[in-house]
Amino acid sequence: MHTYEVFLKKDGRDEFRHAGALDAANDALAEVHARETYIRRAEGDRLWLVRRDHVIVADVDFVAPNADKPHRHHDGAAVAARRKANREASE
Amino acid sequence: MSAAAQPTGIEEFLLAFADDEHLMGQQHTEWIGVAPFLEEDLAFSSIGQDELGHALMLYELVLELRGVEPTDGSVDELAYFRGGEQYRSSTLVEYATTDWAEALVRHWLYDTIENLRWQLVAQSSFAPLAEVAARAQREESYHRQHARALLDPLLASQISRLRILTALDVMLPMAFASLSPPAGESEAIAEGLASGSVLDLAGPLTGAVTERFDTDVAAPETIVADRRVRSADFAPLMSRMREVFDLDHSAVW
Repeated sequence: MHTYEVFLKKDGRDEFRHAGALDAANDALAEVHARETYIRRAEGDRLWLVRRDHVIVADVDFVAPNADKPHRHHDGAAVAARRKANREASE
Repeated sequence: MSAAAQPTGIEEFLLAFADDEHLMGQQHTEWIGVAPFLEEDLAFSSIGQDELGHALMLYELVLELRGVEPTDGSVDELAYFRGGEQYRSSTLVEYATTDWAEALVRHWLYDTIENLRWQLVAQSSFAPLAEVAARAQREESYHRQHARALLDPLLASQISRLRILTALDVMLPMAFASLSPPAGESEAIAEGLASGSVLDLAGPLTGAVTERFDTDVAAPETIVADRRVRSADFAPLMSRMREVFDLDHSAVW
């Protein structure tokens, strides 16, 4: 048995979204059971099945360091604060 | 004319197919909640619902031929309230089993035969029947994919292969018996409703079984079965199907 991750999208709209997972003995059975379990009420027009053991999962320690680099968040808050301070000082 | 009138040959021919679809659909849906795993509960009973849909379309054709408007009431009378001797189902679809291997093998056998039967009426001179065949065949390719996908891994392992072949020994004689020509078939062929006899499907079925199960099988020398006679499993099956109706036949839902 393999675990398959199920992704669906509506034709011409949106991106594929993760819908869930299922276990199946082979690819053909995974297709049949995904059809019955996840799109029996036409929840999607397109179906992707990805075997979980084919998913490349990055190590958490490899991903985490980028969480503490606030200088990469250029949302303008720091510049806006500095401009506001300048404006108030010149009034 | 009432729905209980003596059927004509063409009606008999259509009823044989409709009753097979109806009872096969019922048998499949009874696996909801008890199939080997959740997704299969859904898949098997969905396939059963498809077969019930095919039965409905065929019953509606019978009613139209009788000049009866197909309504919930008239379809129910035909589907549920004939006397047992008026049904034309085969033993293959009446046979009761709680064995998953038998249910699965019957599913494969029935859908293999069903596909061939639809092909016999795909070019029917009776246009509504050809339309029903076209619609049913679209669903049937999915049914066969389902059966194939389950049987592939099961036949690849020794223990499950043995169980499948044991089930095949039980189900195959019933599958061949279902190829006994129903009443009205010669009339249906003469009028161009059907392009050939179900009896001629014994050869293709033998070939398909040999290839699928990788085992030697031979068609019986003679295929004799009477669709006017019900097997012992019919009455309990029909009683389960009528269970709610029987509480109050006249209730309005």
